[in-house]
Amino acid sequence: MNPMLNAFQTNSANAALFTSHDVAAPRKRPILTVNDLTVSFSGVPVLHGVDLTVDKGEAIGIVGESGCGKSVTWRAVLGLLPKSAEVKGEARLDGFNLAGASQSKLEQVRGGRIAMIFQDPASALNPVHRIGAQITEALRLHRGLTSASARAEARRLLDQVGIPDATSRLNAYPHELSGGQNQRVMIAIALAGEPELLVADEPTTALDATVQAQILLLLKTIQRDTGMGLVMISHDLAAVAAICDRVCVMYAGRIVEAAPTHTLLNAPQHPYTRDLIGAIPPSDGPRVRLTAIPGAPPHGGLPPGCAYAPRCQSADAACAMTGPDMRTISARHVVRCLRVADGTRQ
Amino acid sequence: MTLLQLEKVSRRYPIGNPVFGLRSFLTAVDQVSLEVRKGETTGVVGESGCGKSTTGRLALGLEQADSGHVLFEDKQLAAADTREWRAKRQRMQLVYQDTLAALDRRMTIGDLIAEPLVIHDIGDRASRQQRVLDLLYAVGLSEHHRALYPHQLSGGQRQRVVLARALAPSPSLLVCDEPVSALDVSVQAQIVNLLVDLQQELGLGILFISHDLRVVRHVSDRIVVMYLGQVVEHGRADTVIDQPMHPYTQALVSAMPKLPGGFDHYLPLPGEPPSPTERPSGCPFHPRCHLAKDICRQTQPELLPLGPERRVSCHLVSNP
Ligand SMILES: Nc1ncnc2c1ncn2[C@@H]1O[C@H](COP(=O)(O)OP(=O)(O)OP(=O)(O)O)[C@@H](O)[C@H]1O
Ligand SMILES: Nc1ncnc2c1ncn2[C@@H]1O[C@H](COP(=O)(O)OP(=O)(O)O)[C@@H](O)[C@H]1O
Ligand code: SF4
Ligand code: SF4
Ligand SMILES: [Mg+2]
Ligand SMILES: [Mg+2]
Repeated sequence: MNPMLNAFQTNSANAALFTSHDVAAPRKRPILTVNDLTVSFSGVPVLHGVDLTVDKGEAIGIVGESGCGKSVTWRAVLGLLPKSAEVKGEARLDGFNLAGASQSKLEQVRGGRIAMIFQDPASALNPVHRIGAQITEALRLHRGLTSASARAEARRLLDQVGIPDATSRLNAYPHELSGGQNQRVMIAIALAGEPELLVADEPTTALDATVQAQILLLLKTIQRDTGMGLVMISHDLAAVAAICDRVCVMYAGRIVEAAPTHTLLNAPQHPYTRDLIGAIPPSDGPRVRLTAIPGAPPHGGLPPGCAYAPRCQSADAACAMTGPDMRTISARHVVRCLRVADGTRQ
Repeated sequence: MTLLQLEKVSRRYPIGNPVFGLRSFLTAVDQVSLEVRKGETTGVVGESGCGKSTTGRLALGLEQADSGHVLFEDKQLAAADTREWRAKRQRMQLVYQDTLAALDRRMTIGDLIAEPLVIHDIGDRASRQQRVLDLLYAVGLSEHHRALYPHQLSGGQRQRVVLARALAPSPSLLVCDEPVSALDVSVQAQIVNLLVDLQQELGLGILFISHDLRVVRHVSDRIVVMYLGQVVEHGRADTVIDQPMHPYTQALVSAMPKLPGGFDHYLPLPGEPPSPTERPSGCPFHPRCHLAKDICRQTQPELLPLGPERRVSCHLVSNP
């Protein structure tokens, strides 16, 4: 039987793994803690203080409209921003502050303890090198594996990411593979360093619908099997919610709501989260009018008060004056909205 | 009333190098039949390369079919660039995906919207000015935007301009090719609502092409599912999405994460859509189909009617 078919039948057998209901598991130890992270580019602030944690083995999603700072947050954590970026705050990986660490320190962490994959796999891979060489290079760099043991491990990784006929595929060049297969190769390279945390920035945005589902479920399976943490950045809330335990909603360079997926979908508190959910056409049930959020997110400078006020249907006079603080409303549910803080919203 | 009808329309493109005698053809659109009625929307879905955009261009006469017929307002569409075609073209407009490149960046928004009026020689200067203003408001922009240039607008605003341009010559049919795919979901909702409202107001027929099943379900009255250039399933939007019959449609629907619910109804589908240059024998879907039997590898299934307005192309559905 086709090994890939096999892999996906295994997935379907584990279908219960992929429901979006939260398991009432005790909290694990945080592996990454981000505190008051701010970023400006040539003096223009784009991140205004991001706080979040990722627990060991947890899958968290980062959603929000384009430009809200999803990618910048994680590029700042990994030290991948250009020199024009001014980064402040902390990103602690077991007590070690990544924000502001030297490039040589960061190089040890990147690809090793934290790996990252991006939207466009074809451009992230080197077009003139065979994929086998690219995987074994990562194995040499991060695990010191060479020659036969590296090749054996590369084969195992290709198997793990669902590429059939791994032995012959090692000799292929990126252009000989499809978009989905290249993304699988990127995942294999990311896994080469046995990371504790995998950050995936819009990993399926460029892929076809059926391939997108394959890759999302592959990431979820690997995350469950290896116990690594997963950060899934996407503008697609439905995709994120399908595979993440917890979701952080970003708006204008801040997290405005974060909650376990089930809570966020069923009892969203921030007006922006509610609007985002209402804007998505439902996949079943009656067709209702979509929530069209008026206007666009702010560019550069923020309006005074709450950044969402100009577009918020619940805004009142106070919202235009006072910026809301983050408020904890239940165990893992935080919201940044004045109306929630004063109890007017439930 | 049927506005647009495609009857077994096919389009092939030459590939390979004729000098070396390697000339062969890929069939981008293969015997596609569909219709768009006045005031209704027909959605076309399928993965990249399945022939959606080519179908749209064939519908507009921007491309000539190798076989089959395109009927618009009950008449066969004249060949492109004839006077007859231009007269018809005024009544059928394309709404494409906004890219900055698609709108001439040296023209103001007002001139961009007026351009189709000038091309089709509609009205005089003063009446065109008024029409541009009406159109700006119709698509949710204002007089203030008239003097701006494309790069001064957001993506969502530019998509409104693209829509206003298409509406300028008062078409009866819009062919929308991925009109919201490049937009954030918040802005996508603005444009989708706008399209639905304008359709109701103006009685437009819409051919809505998109790879996004959610959006297609939301806007469509009927849906055509394409795979490798062919229609594999056709029917009322609710039935096609809620009770898909073709194994490919079933997989496509299950690959759309539910909110909430995620992938709890996921049906595994291996592999990726093949290129039309490597068209499998028999049923084009058979290499990925978990139900494939010998007959599927040998014989191409026909698109057969299965109940009112429902057509499915699958051996096992027609002969269970
Ligand atoms: N002018 C052309 N010459 C040669 N091949 C073409 C041409 N136009 C389209 N094709 C091929 O025809 C097939 C269908 O293309 P089409 O653009 O209709 O796909 P699509 O369904 O719109 O895909 P997408 O979702 O990526 O927009 C593809 O294989 C494409 O490469
Ligand atoms: N290298 C850069 N130089 C200047 N501005 C940048 C740079 N990268 C990102 N930005 C700005 O930072 C903001 C957040 O961007 P980003 O994190 O990429 O958004 P997204 O949420 O879509 O991933 C945007 O306003 C973007 O224009
Ligand atoms: S603080 Fe006010 S403007 Fe901001 S989200 Fe809450 S209600 Fe809306
Ligand atoms: S005809 Fe056969 S291969 Fe094609 S979809 Fe039906 S069962 Fe699958
Ligand atoms: Mg981004
Ligand atoms: Mg297309």
